[in-house]
Amino acid sequence: MSEALTSPKSSSASPSPRIASGFEMISLTVFIAIALVIAGLVSLDTGWTGIGLFVLGGLLGGVFLGFQYGFASAWRRALVHGEMMGISGHFLLIGLCACIFIPASLWGLDGAGSIAPVSVSLFIGAFMFGIGMQLANGCGSGVLFSFGGGSGRMIIALPFFIIGSVLGSFILPTALDWGSAGPIAIAGNFSDAPRALINLALIGLAGGGFYAIGRRRGQHLDRRLLLACVIIAILCGAVFALSGHPWGVTFGFTLWGAKLAQDLGVPVENFAFWQWPGPARALGHSLLSDVSSLMNIGMVLGAAMLASVSGQLRRQSWPSGKQLLAAAIGGILMGIGARLSFGCNIGAFLGGIASGSVHGWVWFVLAMAGSWTGVYLRPGFGLSK
Amino acid sequence: MTFTPKNIYLMIVLLGSILLIGDHLTSPALTDVGSPSELGNACAPCGAPCTE
Repeated sequence: MSEALTSPKSSSASPSPRIASGFEMISLTVFIAIALVIAGLVSLDTGWTGIGLFVLGGLLGGVFLGFQYGFASAWRRALVHGEMMGISGHFLLIGLCACIFIPASLWGLDGAGSIAPVSVSLFIGAFMFGIGMQLANGCGSGVLFSFGGGSGRMIIALPFFIIGSVLGSFILPTALDWGSAGPIAIAGNFSDAPRALINLALIGLAGGGFYAIGRRRGQHLDRRLLLACVIIAILCGAVFALSGHPWGVTFGFTLWGAKLAQDLGVPVENFAFWQWPGPARALGHSLLSDVSSLMNIGMVLGAAMLASVSGQLRRQSWPSGKQLLAAAIGGILMGIGARLSFGCNIGAFLGGIASGSVHGWVWFVLAMAGSWTGVYLRPGFGLSK
Repeated sequence: MTFTPKNIYLMIVLLGSILLIGDHLTSPALTDVGSPSELGNACAPCGAPCTE
């Protein structure tokens, strides 16, 4: 369940804290014990930076689950019902992050944004991702925090996302040869301050445009959505300050899958992607040494703890077989798509646009087109449009 | 033990945690957390090199 917080209706779906008992208490104790062991191991190697990123992942998991903040359902509501406030909220979040990412040096931060190539693979991958996120009912972060919350749908979607992202890592080196204009930074010739202003103007234009359309239709920006955007932006800023990069989710999935495949005897290390210096280093080191992997683990545990105390974990049930099939197909499409398009809603859409990269805008347009396709495929799997 | 989402989920989390801790104890660890884009001639967050 990764329905976005975009309307008063959705607030009733968010877990409300209450005294837990029985199964929840046992679950909570297990999750806290796992978190403490992992934090201890992290502290031995990467110290406070590692612990900080692990905790930030946990907080993001809790905030996303608590506010039911997501992307897939907000985009679907925009496409099907013309509800625009969810997307305008996304651009608000992006704008707040852009204030940190682009003029990083002005804040005294030593970091670099998410700039990626505008390639043929980006177009294909983002479109695939858009279809997948509608079939699976969640995007990269949505799959993760909903899995953490015990969602039956995401118990299926996550492993297929991981499998898809490993397949995507095998395909990407070839796909990059299909054509690329290279990385393009908007107003890249300008210094940080004017570059930030130009990008903020573009983000404001897009977000303001969606907001204006929504207002004309009598829609309102929910206060809880605003609060969620501000909290998530602060957490994203903290991730940037600690890691030197915008928050990303899907490389962690790829790494988990590659390590598992290696354990099963697949010579992952022989594939071109895993011979590039960055991925090769990640594959050769602990899963707790990679920012994305570490934060993903934190996100699952953060969401799991909140789901335990709120009783959400106990209430989960299996969707129909058709819906589970949709989750599996959606997971595979998102996995491959994320690798071909350099990320998901977090790494490419949020991180890319907030870093002033053209690839983030292309990703948004193509993923929206894919979502439109996915919305029309949903009824075939017993899902509402 | 029934195959309800909460039971399957708890088993997956426990198994995943065992695999994770096992991986950590058998793999070298960096002294600071890293991202793939930090090394080589990276042109993307995943560490893909510039190919223009």
